[in-house]
Amino acid sequence: MRTDAVVTFVQAMLLAVLQGVSELFPISSLGHTVLVPALFRWNVDEGSDAFLAFVVALHLGTALALVAFYGRDWLALARGLLASLVRGRIGEEPNERVAWLLVAGTVPVAVLGVLLESSVKRLFAAPLPVSLFLVANGGLMLLGERLRRRQHVNAGHPYRALDRLGMRDGVLVGLAQSLALLPGISRSGAAIVAGLLRDLRHEDAARYSFLLATPVIFAAAALEIPKLFAPDAHVVLVEALAGAALAGVTAYASVAFLTRWFRHNDLSPFAWYCIVAGGLAFALLVTKGIA
Amino acid sequence: MKQVAVILAVVFLIVAVLYWTGHMPWPPGVHTKHGILFAVLALLCLVWYRFQSASSTR
Repeated sequence: MRTDAVVTFVQAMLLAVLQGVSELFPISSLGHTVLVPALFRWNVDEGSDAFLAFVVALHLGTALALVAFYGRDWLALARGLLASLVRGRIGEEPNERVAWLLVAGTVPVAVLGVLLESSVKRLFAAPLPVSLFLVANGGLMLLGERLRRRQHVNAGHPYRALDRLGMRDGVLVGLAQSLALLPGISRSGAAIVAGLLRDLRHEDAARYSFLLATPVIFAAAALEIPKLFAPDAHVVLVEALAGAALAGVTAYASVAFLTRWFRHNDLSPFAWYCIVAGGLAFALLVTKGIA
Repeated sequence: MKQVAVILAVVFLIVAVLYWTGHMPWPPGVHTKHGILFAVLALLCLVWYRFQSASSTR
C-alpha cells in the first residue's frame, strides 16, 4: 500500500526537481505538473490529501530557497516598509519604494488567486488546455520581447530602474502575474513581460518577478499547511521532506542561474521551449488520446 | 480620501468575519483563505489611512 498509491519515491524526486526549476524559469510549473504525469501515464492520485501535502512541502521548499537567496534584500525591504509606515509616507529611498511596489504587485494576484483559483483550475487544469496555454505562454513572451524592442531599440524609449516604477505599474505587473492562474501560463514569465513593457531592463524585471514570487508562493503554501497534518499525509512524509529539500536546492540554483542569465539575455529561448514543448505535448495527447 | 480608507477597512473586516463564520452566501461555507484575504485588505486600507493622515498633518 504505502506511497505506491500516491506517488513513488522516484516520481516524487522528479516532481521536486520539476517544481524547483519550473517555478522560477518562465515555463509554468503548474503546466508541467499537469503535463508530465499525464504524458508519462503516472498513476498519481493528484486529488488525494497525501499528494496535496506533498505539493505543499515542495512549495515551502521553493519559498525557503527564495528567502535564502534574497535574504539581505528582504531584510532591507522590511526595514524600508517599517520606516515608511512610521513616517506615514513612502520616501525616495529605493528599498522603501520597492517594498511598496511588492505590496502593490501582490494584492491583485492575492485577490484574484483566492477568489478565482479553484474555478479556473476546475475549468482548465486538464492536459489538453494546459498544452495550448503553454504555447500561448511562449507566444506572449515573444510578443513582449518584440514590443520591448520596438519601444526601446527603435523608438529610443529610456529604461527605468525598479524603484522608479509607479504604484500603478506595480499593480499592472501584479495583474499580469494573475494570468498564471491559467495552468500553462508562467507567473514569472507574465511578470517579466509586464515589467519589460513598463520600461524595466530584463535584469530588473526578473528581480521584481522573483521578489514577487516569494510572498505569493509562501502565502499559497502557508495557507495549505494544515494539509501536511491530514490523516493520510504521513504516508508521504519521507517523499515530502526529501522533495522539499530537493525543490529548494533546485530553486536556489535556478534563481542564481536566471539572475545571471537576464543580465545579458532575453526571454526568447524559454518562449521557444514553451511553444515546442506545448505543441509536442498537444500532438502526443491527441494521438495517444490522453486528453 | 481618509474617510474612504476607513469605510473600506470596516467593510473588508466585516466581509472577513462573514467568511470566517460561514455567513457569506458566495461561495457557501466557511472560507478561511477568503477571510484572511479580506482581513489583509482591511489592514492595507488602514495603512492607506495612515499615509493620508500623515500627509494632511504636514
